[in-house]
Amino acid sequence: MIVSPICEMLGIKYPIFQGGMAWIADGKLAAAVSNGGGLGIISAMNADADYLKGQIDIARSLTDKPFGVNIMLMSPYADEVAEIVAREKVPVVTTGAGIPAKYMPRWAEAGVKVIPVVASVAMAKKMERCGAVAVIAEGMESGGHIGELTTMAIVPQVRDAVSIPVIAAGGIADGRGVAASLMLGACGVQLGTRFLVAEECSVHQNYKEMVLKAGDISTAVTGLRFGGNTCRSIKNAFTRNFQKEEYSPDATAESVALLGVGALRKAAVEGDKQDGCFLAGQIAGLVSKEQPAAEIIEEIFKEAEALLKGAASWVK
Amino acid sequence: MVFEKICGIIAEKINCDASTLSEDTKFADLGIDSLDVTELVMNIEDEFGIELEVDSSLQSVGDLVKLVESKLD
Ligand SMILES: Cc1cc2nc3c(=O)[nH]c(=O)nc-3n(C[C@H](O)[C@H](O)[C@H](O)COP(=O)(O)O)c2cc1C
Repeated sequence: MIVSPICEMLGIKYPIFQGGMAWIADGKLAAAVSNGGGLGIISAMNADADYLKGQIDIARSLTDKPFGVNIMLMSPYADEVAEIVAREKVPVVTTGAGIPAKYMPRWAEAGVKVIPVVASVAMAKKMERCGAVAVIAEGMESGGHIGELTTMAIVPQVRDAVSIPVIAAGGIADGRGVAASLMLGACGVQLGTRFLVAEECSVHQNYKEMVLKAGDISTAVTGLRFGGNTCRSIKNAFTRNFQKEEYSPDATAESVALLGVGALRKAAVEGDKQDGCFLAGQIAGLVSKEQPAAEIIEEIFKEAEALLKGAASWVK
Repeated sequence: MVFEKICGIIAEKINCDASTLSEDTKFADLGIDSLDVTELVMNIEDEFGIELEVDSSLQSVGDLVKLVESKLD
């Protein structure tokens, strides 16, 4: 049994989060992960408060375990979904793409624990000062929006810079990744890519096929040139076209911003293998079968436990 | 005073000559991205003993100076 401070803090059995995934992580997936002993997270993405309330109700009808909500701070509905999280007293909120300082007092009053995703030491320190109870240090191996640092580099540096617990994310999909994260100073992990192929994940079947088929070098990064919306996804016609346009001499930040519009929906809902944006991480090559979320979690922690028990054999 | 201090912090961070910075200098032109801005803000918070909001409205040296001055009043 691997027990870490984050388990006690959040009332979960295994120190593992299923990361927020726009267009994908709904109430059903979150409930399956929470029932499996981890922390499931509903993605509020760019939808309004009614959508989120509906997903929270679905999760509550499927589990009595704690779960979380992920808010993208640049969403046009950020204010209203932040309020729903407080009103519904969702146990945990994770945030991406920015600093949620303006919502922190309201969430604190409602007893919502705030665990932001950070991409640098300075961001982690800022979050700690604002009242975050933990931070998720995410490396650029991950699927979705990415920063500059790798998981190997960011986790120990963030760990040294803050006194709140650190969750490692990016490139973790099995017990080896969990064991390594704990050694780097994390006290938990967040996975996205592996949960894409959970049986309870309602993403289009073509999406799952793309992830299952992906190898180590199957992902590409788009949006790097002008920044702001740098993403990792599986190489396809969409990424090739994006990169061609992005690096053409007359590209501008504005013209590039339009390239990704609607592409996430095309991938997750329509399963359009050509023009969809299939966000996934470098570790997709390790993900090889569809399984129930609870089985994924148990398998990962059984492996991590065996590895950590055997670790002493290195020391003579 | 605030302006000089902030220019000093920026110059120190990106290894440039502080006298080349003005209120109009855009972060984008210095190669300073949003992660760098967060780091600058943390250094400034420590230096002045204040708390600042970081958001995408911080685009230039002048924006940062104005924000800090509003907290010092
Ligand atoms: C399809 C997909 C969508 C994602 N969407 C979001 C999101 O909306 N908000 C967010 O904070 N992180 C998002 N992420 C990041 C995950 O929450 C998680 O931190 C990341 O996937 C961990 O790295 P891994 O993919 O290597 O497991 C997304 C990741 C994937 C794969």
